[in-house]
Amino acid sequence: MGPREKLALRYVLTAVFWLGVAGIEGMLMRLRLIDLFTDIYVPEHFYSMMTVHPYVGIYGWAYMAVMGAFYYLVPKVLNKELYSERVANLSYWVMTLGVLITWLSGFLFNFAALYTLYWPLPVERFPPTSILVFSIGTIMIFSSVLMFFFNMFATIFLPSRDAGGAGYVAKELLTLAFNIDKIKAVGKGIKNYLPKVYAYPVFIVGVFRGCVDTTLNALTMAAISVLLGVYSLAGLANINLPATLVDPLIYKNVFWWGLDLIADGNVLIFTAATWYFLTPVLVGRKLYGEQVVRTVILADLVLSLFVWNHHMLADTPQPLILQIQGQIFTWGELITMGLTMFAVLMTIWLARPVKYSTPLKFMILSILGYAIGGSAGIMQANYALNRYLHNTQWVIGIHGHVQLLAGLSLTLFAVIYAVAPMITGKELDPKLADIHLILFFAGAIIMGLSMGLAGVDGMLRRTLYFNGEYLPYMLGAAVGGAMMALGFLVFLLNFVRTYGFKAIIIAFKD
Amino acid sequence: MYIQQVVEMFYLTLVAIYIVFIISFIYVTSRGKPSKMATDGGEEEHRGMDKAEKTWFAILITIAIIGNALLLSPLIPSANMALWTKAEPMQTYTITIEDYQFHLPEKPMRVAAGVPVEFVVLSNDVTYGFGVFREDGSLVFQMQVVPGYENKIVWIFDEPGVYTIRSTEYSGPEHSSMVVYDAIVVEEGG
Repeated sequence: MGPREKLALRYVLTAVFWLGVAGIEGMLMRLRLIDLFTDIYVPEHFYSMMTVHPYVGIYGWAYMAVMGAFYYLVPKVLNKELYSERVANLSYWVMTLGVLITWLSGFLFNFAALYTLYWPLPVERFPPTSILVFSIGTIMIFSSVLMFFFNMFATIFLPSRDAGGAGYVAKELLTLAFNIDKIKAVGKGIKNYLPKVYAYPVFIVGVFRGCVDTTLNALTMAAISVLLGVYSLAGLANINLPATLVDPLIYKNVFWWGLDLIADGNVLIFTAATWYFLTPVLVGRKLYGEQVVRTVILADLVLSLFVWNHHMLADTPQPLILQIQGQIFTWGELITMGLTMFAVLMTIWLARPVKYSTPLKFMILSILGYAIGGSAGIMQANYALNRYLHNTQWVIGIHGHVQLLAGLSLTLFAVIYAVAPMITGKELDPKLADIHLILFFAGAIIMGLSMGLAGVDGMLRRTLYFNGEYLPYMLGAAVGGAMMALGFLVFLLNFVRTYGFKAIIIAFKD
Repeated sequence: MYIQQVVEMFYLTLVAIYIVFIISFIYVTSRGKPSKMATDGGEEEHRGMDKAEKTWFAILITIAIIGNALLLSPLIPSANMALWTKAEPMQTYTITIEDYQFHLPEKPMRVAAGVPVEFVVLSNDVTYGFGVFREDGSLVFQMQVVPGYENKIVWIFDEPGVYTIRSTEYSGPEHSSMVVYDAIVVEEGG
């Protein structure tokens, strides 16, 4: 196993560890919502767990899995060396420690401002020490993300290790990400100009266009973490820094603009790129509509810059015109995601008869997961319907968790099942993989639907109920969560049975 | 039937269609005959969309246009009140929130069914939510309460009854206790 394979394996194993942690947290919260352990999970504890849960799930699991996969696949697809293995190793440790410190801010210091961090909640309600620990953890997370993207951009755009500096990479990136060369050519009246982006495989186009969103996201979120850090340091030094220095509505706009770049940009683009990579490999046929999907990825990138207003539909001081704009642009995602799914399904259709291998099964159900979760998202992102659905369990259950678990996580597992044999030369047991898939997918849908239907009946997210309200729905959600946990354990069993603990030791040995 | 229940029925139908489609797709593609179209990708050398893709694109655009038009239309009560009728409020209640507490001008606040009433909600510290719920726990309407701003909504209650107010936004660990039962009494309209 070479250094790049070891690096990828280390990232993926750590990602799986964090998925386990996020799963334990999720199950503990599920148990609390069916009125168990009420003495242990007092609100302070419950909400601090709810605060760190998405950081562990998104950055610990999803980001680290994506980083591991892309560190392996991008150089392989381009037949190039990774720009810097040292930076890749550094970003691994910074991310791992960052997620750990963020988790500790909740576990040890009860920081519980939730991932939304609406101003001025963090600085009004929580002690400076807990804010400081949280901001250090998140600054490390976003620093690691920026290191990763620097490494990706440099690997993709530099012809060789010493070919140019950051300026060259940035220029190439902007030119290719937004088809600037094509715009210039049109301006000069050049007909039939083929943009430079066509020189790159469609998977790579998805990687660097998705990376644009995530870089902007990391910069925005890091700035918010720095702001929290400044207020916490002022608090520790007994300097009175009024919370009114920051406008809550402007802050909320900036926050959602930055955050939505991953929720509605990067996730969709990276997922599309991964499907575009996997499908031809798994069915042995060129991707259908390959030329068109590049444009679809560009459309996704542009749309993602303008959809944050669908998070502000319940804010009556927000200008109405922006809210309607947010709604209409969000429907654009139905079109781009619809075209993405069409390209993938047509590729499979044209390759029939198809043997449904383990990764292909995971991928096709991830498409179903995105369709189910995405449709719920489109509904809640409307000005009128948001009045009834905002902040209910609908948003986080049927949309959020189905999208992340049945959509994104199954895509990531598809990559793991496809790439693990490339790295180790050995396939994971397909029968155990089937059990993993069925339990995980069915569990995610049962949990998401139970939560969503509770939301229709008025159950709020981020809210503890004390009189047994919505209990039948929460029992259904707990059963779904338990099925997913069981599926995850089957995956772990499969991994250990196939590769043994030796693979884990090798991945962490220099 | 509440609007949420219509959404739920529509959504569950969609989910059922998706599941049937994917199962059928897997069945057909795993057993079907080889495609008559070229398998070397030759049919994709042109850079535009092919016929099937154009048709699908047109379907998606149509769904998006119809979806937006329908959901912004007066058929949806919240859209009707905010975008179409824009009724002048007959009553205004100003509510203040501070340190997890709702401060109501009177309890209960009495309003008439079918009459526009305005709620102005102010926060003196952090962001809260202002949600009005029926006795069965279902949500009538809600808005965010951003500190430093006048958060206003005009609503027309269509059913007499007793309504609960609850904060719909997390505002700290004591947020769950932010509920005022029997806060609004809606009487038969005059």
